[in-house]
Amino acid sequence: MERKKVYITGIGVISSIGNDRETVVQNLKSLNHGFSPYQAFEDDELAEVKLVGLVKDFDVESSEYEDWSFPSQYRIRRDVLRGLAPHGVYAYCAMQQAIEDARLTDEDISNPDTGIYTSSAGSPKILTYNVNRMRHLGPMRCSPTAIVSAISGTLSFNFVASFKILGNSCGFSSACASSAHAIGYAADDIALGRQKRMFIVAGEDANHESILPFAGMRTLSLESDPEKASCPFDKNRNGFVSAGGGIVLTLESEDEVERRGVTPYAELLGWGQASDGHNVAISHPEGLGLSRAIRMSLSNSSIKAEDVDYINAHATSTIIGDVSEGKAITDVFGSQGLRPKISSTKAITGHGLSLAGAFEAAIVCLSLRADITPGSAHIRNLDTQFENLNIMRESESTAPEITLSNSSGFGGANVSLVFKKISSP
Amino acid sequence: MPEQTTTTRETAPAPARGSDELLRETLKRCSKETLDAAIEFRRTGDVALVSKIVLGIIERAVEPDLVDQLKNGGDSVRFIEDLNIDSIDMIEAIMMVEEAMGISIKNEELINLRSIGDMNRFIHEKISGMESSNKAQFFPFEEVAAILPHQKPFLFLHEASLEEHSATGKYRISGDEDFLEGHFKGNPVFPASLMLEALGQLAVFLLMKRPPEELALESLESGNVYFTGADGVRCYRVCKPGDTLEMSVKLKRLRDPLAVFSGQIKVDGEKTATAEEVTLAFKREEGVKQINGENGSATIGGGVNGSLE
Repeated sequence: MERKKVYITGIGVISSIGNDRETVVQNLKSLNHGFSPYQAFEDDELAEVKLVGLVKDFDVESSEYEDWSFPSQYRIRRDVLRGLAPHGVYAYCAMQQAIEDARLTDEDISNPDTGIYTSSAGSPKILTYNVNRMRHLGPMRCSPTAIVSAISGTLSFNFVASFKILGNSCGFSSACASSAHAIGYAADDIALGRQKRMFIVAGEDANHESILPFAGMRTLSLESDPEKASCPFDKNRNGFVSAGGGIVLTLESEDEVERRGVTPYAELLGWGQASDGHNVAISHPEGLGLSRAIRMSLSNSSIKAEDVDYINAHATSTIIGDVSEGKAITDVFGSQGLRPKISSTKAITGHGLSLAGAFEAAIVCLSLRADITPGSAHIRNLDTQFENLNIMRESESTAPEITLSNSSGFGGANVSLVFKKISSP
Repeated sequence: MPEQTTTTRETAPAPARGSDELLRETLKRCSKETLDAAIEFRRTGDVALVSKIVLGIIERAVEPDLVDQLKNGGDSVRFIEDLNIDSIDMIEAIMMVEEAMGISIKNEELINLRSIGDMNRFIHEKISGMESSNKAQFFPFEEVAAILPHQKPFLFLHEASLEEHSATGKYRISGDEDFLEGHFKGNPVFPASLMLEALGQLAVFLLMKRPPEELALESLESGNVYFTGADGVRCYRVCKPGDTLEMSVKLKRLRDPLAVFSGQIKVDGEKTATAEEVTLAFKREEGVKQINGENGSATIGGGVNGSLE
């Protein structure tokens, strides 16, 4: 059965480096980071972590929705807001952006051929708050929306209901590969003719409860200087900076793109995935799962390794993870004498966990539209382990034809997505 | 750009159960008057404060444009239909009512709390520890259909709410009713005779499910209540598919084996039909003479003097 073409037609972004597409592109060009000190960590003497990729102009710090505020151009009804997690607010605003960007009507959104795949880790903050209440005051004094706003399916529950989604819907949970998985499976649904249009909705809180547990795994950078805190591929990298936000992508079939007369950002050529089968939290030291995922994605896209111009790396700035990815890239490309451009935009965005795959897909799409290739910021001394890789220190003002975007999650789940630039008419 | 603010409230231990502090925390989104009234109620137990507290709690879940209706609508204001409050809002409101009044409300009690009046009465009863005979009991379609002998296509009651001597009920004209094809051709009008039938069914349901205390009966058997007469029937409005008949019947007289009701129907609050008297005959037990002789469900018998079209 022949696969139908799949296009990205709409993008919504609420993130550490901007709450609209233009700002994000500007920051990708100039490589401005989105990190700042986080008051809750400054107030907590046990929290050694300093920096967070915070979303600006939103205040969702409270555990009660009545206290939240967000930019006035967005409308969220009270009966929707009460069921959202903090990151649900980010994602809801991103959804409004994406719908407008893709020029979708209510009928385009609510029909049996349009579905939604989501990814989020849930909200440990809302969960903690309600579990504490339950212990002190009993279950009858907990909010009736405590569960739907806190558990990891929260984005699916809320968005399917609010946007009257009638097609496929479910959530993906493979940690930092979650939203890349969501994109891959959504693309398959469209390619196989099961759906005409899919929304990818990804979100993460950025607060005490969501971030600090990663410090216990010693995966977070404790640096207070943003350029030293998030510096993938640098010799002195020492962990990632966590980030929150909400990202929405709309994927559509070629028929729908033609019917609606919209210009897509990019074609999603294909994808691949493979698992490490190695460790619960550490990437395979030789990057075996990721190199297989990359090969699968190339074959699924019917392209060869030499066709890839640019790789948006997963590289989060951890000591082991970056090396593992470098080895996977060397295995697929370097071993054939190929040197595609490589950068990790996490140097400026921070790591949004299950947001990452969708965020980087959005970054790739926005870069293709803006005719840029984003560089890898904050490298002072390149780690010699990456000397054979073509890592770009600065952004370039040309866009690649074919882009590969990698994501790897806990348990050794690896996903590679392949994007193709839309040729100018 | 504003930095994010932070609070430490979440990490502080929750206030103790039953404390004023917890009451303040629970009602913190309500007006100061509501909180003050709740604190005073806790001190004095003054039942006169109940309706003020209930209004203040419900107000929190109501969109601003409906607050006037809540404040001026009195006891008859309904939570779902008039105030657009859903069951999740209700659970939050109930949580506050429980904390403020020191009572607990069970799931099966919740279904009967459909209006401000229901809530006020319910709380009064809970506080005084007495069952008021005024309490309305709500029956959704499934229960109505399970109890009445009438069935599709001759059941004209979609829900009912019963009190001691009166009942309200609804029937939504779907447009799929077979008889509308011929009544009239190309112009579906709900027959006035069936409006009277619908009132009769509501009265039958009341008599079966909640017979007046004077009868000293648990309930009447299905098939033991028959329509026997109607007087002073007037129709004021044509009813079409999409209209919802809002019916009410009130017991006027009870003289074993006859029960006489008055009835009226409104659509969108507009007077639609009235019946001065709808008379039902009931059979209490084996051996008692059956008034109407006929067997079968409540069909309109003799004695219809109205201006039925």
